[in-house]
Amino acid sequence: MPAAMPSIGSRLAAVARPTATLIALLVGLELLKRGGLLPVFVPAPSQVFNEIIASPRLVTANLGPTAFKATVGFFIAMGISVSAGSLAVLLRGAYAPIYNTSVTLNSIPIIATAPLLALWIGTGPQVQIVIATLACQFSMLVGTVQGLRATDARQRELMHVLSASQFQTLRYLLLPSAIPYLFAGFKIAAPAAVLGAVTAEWAGAERGLGAMMLYALFSYDTPKVWLSVLLTCLLAAGGYGIVALAERLVVRHGREVELAD
Amino acid sequence: MLDPRVSRDIRVQDVTMVYHSHGDSVIALERVNMHVPTGQFASIIGPSGCGKSTLLRLIADILQPHSGQVTLGSDTPRAARHDHALGFVFQSPTLLPWRTVRQNVELPLDVAGRDSTRRSARSTDELIELVGLKGFEKALPHQLSGGMQQRVAIARALVLTPDVLLLDEPFGALDEITRQRMNIEMLRIWAESGTTALLVTHSIGEAIFMSDQVYVMSARPGRIVSVVDVPLPRPRTLDMMRSHVFFDCVNRVRDGLFGKEESTSAMSRPQAAEAY
Repeated sequence: MPAAMPSIGSRLAAVARPTATLIALLVGLELLKRGGLLPVFVPAPSQVFNEIIASPRLVTANLGPTAFKATVGFFIAMGISVSAGSLAVLLRGAYAPIYNTSVTLNSIPIIATAPLLALWIGTGPQVQIVIATLACQFSMLVGTVQGLRATDARQRELMHVLSASQFQTLRYLLLPSAIPYLFAGFKIAAPAAVLGAVTAEWAGAERGLGAMMLYALFSYDTPKVWLSVLLTCLLAAGGYGIVALAERLVVRHGREVELAD
Repeated sequence: MLDPRVSRDIRVQDVTMVYHSHGDSVIALERVNMHVPTGQFASIIGPSGCGKSTLLRLIADILQPHSGQVTLGSDTPRAARHDHALGFVFQSPTLLPWRTVRQNVELPLDVAGRDSTRRSARSTDELIELVGLKGFEKALPHQLSGGMQQRVAIARALVLTPDVLLLDEPFGALDEITRQRMNIEMLRIWAESGTTALLVTHSIGEAIFMSDQVYVMSARPGRIVSVVDVPLPRPRTLDMMRSHVFFDCVNRVRDGLFGKEESTSAMSRPQAAEAY
């Protein structure tokens, strides 16, 4: 039955150590800044914290839109990549064109395409959603293709003897056995979607962490720049955390996979 | 007890199978002929690499013969497969690890449809009970022992009442004691199902204990060198393994496997008895 759960004590210890390290680091930074030992572009932690206190709406107004755009982009990429990956594995001729397209899209510098995309499809949130989709599709496709190909030859023979159609084989064998690989791809993709959305917001967005970052940079408001960096990190790591949590709920038979590329 | 549906016989006619690799061609099977009458149990025995698993895969339409033909009843293996008439038990249990015991047993129903006309008269619960796994319906494969996993695979092969049951060394990975128990259970299940069964094995004792006929194969090229009829009555009991009839069969299979002089000079009857 389920593996022995770690005791509450050891769980606390697992959280306590990194927390203590973080606090020590913040206190150290604060002291160094107060002592005048840090350059002007590094603010004291208290200054960043004060920004949140001074304008909490700044945080909520910009965190929400970026999270929304990254999430929508993530799910669009998931739908496209899993479908395209399935097609690439099932249809022999489809593999090369699909994989090549995905690699090419992944190689495009977002920073250059975002303004061009804005010209084509307008400056609304759709640009950031498209860029977030582009930024995270590749790892999802790699995960899907690797996962669908990772089945055992005997299992495929079993489906053959059962006279299962290609769709049934995909549904009952290939996709379920690919799930650990899919999640490996999703875990890389989640932070990538956030960073993609933030980068796209640089090319012009009314709201979002990227826009906040840009305005703060142009007004030399270093604490606010660092605040936006901090929020982006939290959002990206949070996306990873949510996917990892979902994996724990879905994968019951105790397999975890790391993607090779 | 016999299923009213007409089962199928297995007929292999002049089947030759050649593998090509690196410009060389290896003859895996050479002009193999066999016939397993409807409802009988036959075994194929031979050394590793003699092509016995290849032969089983030809009958299951996993591989295609180079020449010759296989018929199951009046159909090609492909037609029989599309009719969901084949049950196959692999050497490894080949369960889907994310499916529970019940879901694994019901996989063929997911593929053929829950209302398939081939669906066993037994419910899934009865089948699970038949293979001795009552109470484990909701367990996942990794929670079961190897023997229990193979029982799930057997129940899965029976859920669509196969006309032809193909067994590829299904108990090869089990310890001797478990293996003997599984053999007896397999025979009981087979006798109730009325299916035609073909077992691949490299255990002489197992082949004779289970079968009506034993096909003895040699390696490179894979050929059938002798067919040994086993005149033991059914149902088989472990006591029969000490009978003269059984020893005669062991010796005849050994003659086929190792050549006549070698095996008869090397072993007297009591020695043969100890070997199995």
